[in-house]
Amino acid sequence: MSTWLNHHLQAIKLVLSRMRNNLLSTFMICLVVAIAMCLPSLFYLGVDNLSKLTDHMKSETEISLFLKLDATSADIAEIDTTLAKNTAISQYHLVTKDEAWQQLQAKSKDNQNISSAIEQLGKNPLPDAFFIQAKSTDPETLETLKNTLQSIPGVEHAVLNADWAKRLATLLSIGKKLIFFITILLAAVLLVIIGNTIRMQILSQKDEIQVSYLIGATNSFIRMPFLYAGVLYGLLGGLLSVLMIAGIIQTFNYSVMEISKLYGSDFSLNLLNIELYLTTIGLAVSIGWVGSYFAVTRAISAIKIS
Amino acid sequence: MIQFDQVSKRYPGSDQILKNVSFSIDAGEFVYVTGHSGAGKSTLLKLIAATELPTSGTVLIANQNVSKLKPSAIPFLRRRFGLIFQDHKLLYDRNCFENVILPLRINGVSEQEAAKRVRAALDKVGLLNKEKVMPITLSGGEQQRLAIARAVVSRPAILLADEPTGNLDASYAADIMAIFQAFNQVGVTVIMSTHDALGVSTNQRVLHLNHGELTEIPATHSTLNVNTTPTEIFSS
Repeated sequence: MSTWLNHHLQAIKLVLSRMRNNLLSTFMICLVVAIAMCLPSLFYLGVDNLSKLTDHMKSETEISLFLKLDATSADIAEIDTTLAKNTAISQYHLVTKDEAWQQLQAKSKDNQNISSAIEQLGKNPLPDAFFIQAKSTDPETLETLKNTLQSIPGVEHAVLNADWAKRLATLLSIGKKLIFFITILLAAVLLVIIGNTIRMQILSQKDEIQVSYLIGATNSFIRMPFLYAGVLYGLLGGLLSVLMIAGIIQTFNYSVMEISKLYGSDFSLNLLNIELYLTTIGLAVSIGWVGSYFAVTRAISAIKIS
Repeated sequence: MIQFDQVSKRYPGSDQILKNVSFSIDAGEFVYVTGHSGAGKSTLLKLIAATELPTSGTVLIANQNVSKLKPSAIPFLRRRFGLIFQDHKLLYDRNCFENVILPLRINGVSEQEAAKRVRAALDKVGLLNKEKVMPITLSGGEQQRLAIARAVVSRPAILLADEPTGNLDASYAADIMAIFQAFNQVGVTVIMSTHDALGVSTNQRVLHLNHGELTEIPATHSTLNVNTTPTEIFSS
């Protein structure tokens, strides 16, 4: 047990002293890891926040049913009963043309331009309308429901509000796939870079490794410092990448908040995205470990044979 | 302790290096392996240290058949030996202390205990004051003594030395021989190869190799002279 612990402590000490002796090159490798990890994380942040926005909108998907302008109260009552029978509808409410007209006037009170435009209109141009909340949020089902409602006599126009959100969601799912491939490609690049760095270190320690084998070193003893080096490159690179992401979010938030204020929203990116940070670091560490493991296994068998 | 039974060794694409070699060495012996260069001395030592495996025959080290050991067990077998090479195989990127501590690091000895043992080993070979010196600045004899310190620091039961005096002049060689004899006197088995027949004192057991074939010259105790210093043996 203490032997095992000593081996690990020695390996860590050795790696740290090697890194101290090569501060610049260590920093460069960590920087490469950090940048490579940073890119997919930022992509992910962008797509994730956009898709949260659209999720929020999807829950508000409703179908607006505008009736013909000459609809009588009897027509309205008839449509009301049809809607009540439809099982795909969870709830609906009627906004009569008079209510809508009053709402519009009330809302535009603050805005001189619109209120004067409304005054010029003179009479109420708005139709009666039903606002329908469907049970399902599935775009296909909503589409069929919209078509059914469109065909009810007395209905001028049925509008599904989620059309653009649907398009955005499709684009976002493409974005998510893109992130997946970018992550895989960058991970492969990192594997190669870390593997190559470790291989160079092994070659520069070739004498020590050969002598160590001769005096009874086990494979795991030889491997350990290099595995720790890989893991440390991953860890330091991951931490640096988290700092970079946090910095970028912070500067981004300044501009976003200014725009959000103009739109009366309080939208901003979450600075403390612990899950993302842990994933970034975890991924960097595992890539470091895997890269160095392959490098060290290959190089060691080459050294042993020679 | 070490037993060779009909051992032959052939490297791929070469002649047979060792031919049906059989002998056994008991604990505490001092054995020379002599022969012309290319006779198979180094190969014999490599077979003992399990850095090479026999083509045929069996090599038993402490009753373990080396050919049948799992690869993972071989490092632990090697730790029974202290290995000394003709070209020292020192690491020139670190000082003497760091060179000698290497086997203890491999054995997982704690730093404080290791430091004590390293100083004891350096003291035995007379290099205690060179602890912080880089090996490249040492003379040939001092480098070989440093290599011996590294070989003995983990207190192995067997010292294997492959022509340790091969590159040294007579007085340095005598120092080295004296060190080996001192270890042998405290019970360490010493197996040493040399092509220099003059360096062999007649009162010690000799395994003589000639083109891979072994002829054993048993120790003749008649000329045993305890007072003979190694220097005299070498200069004679």
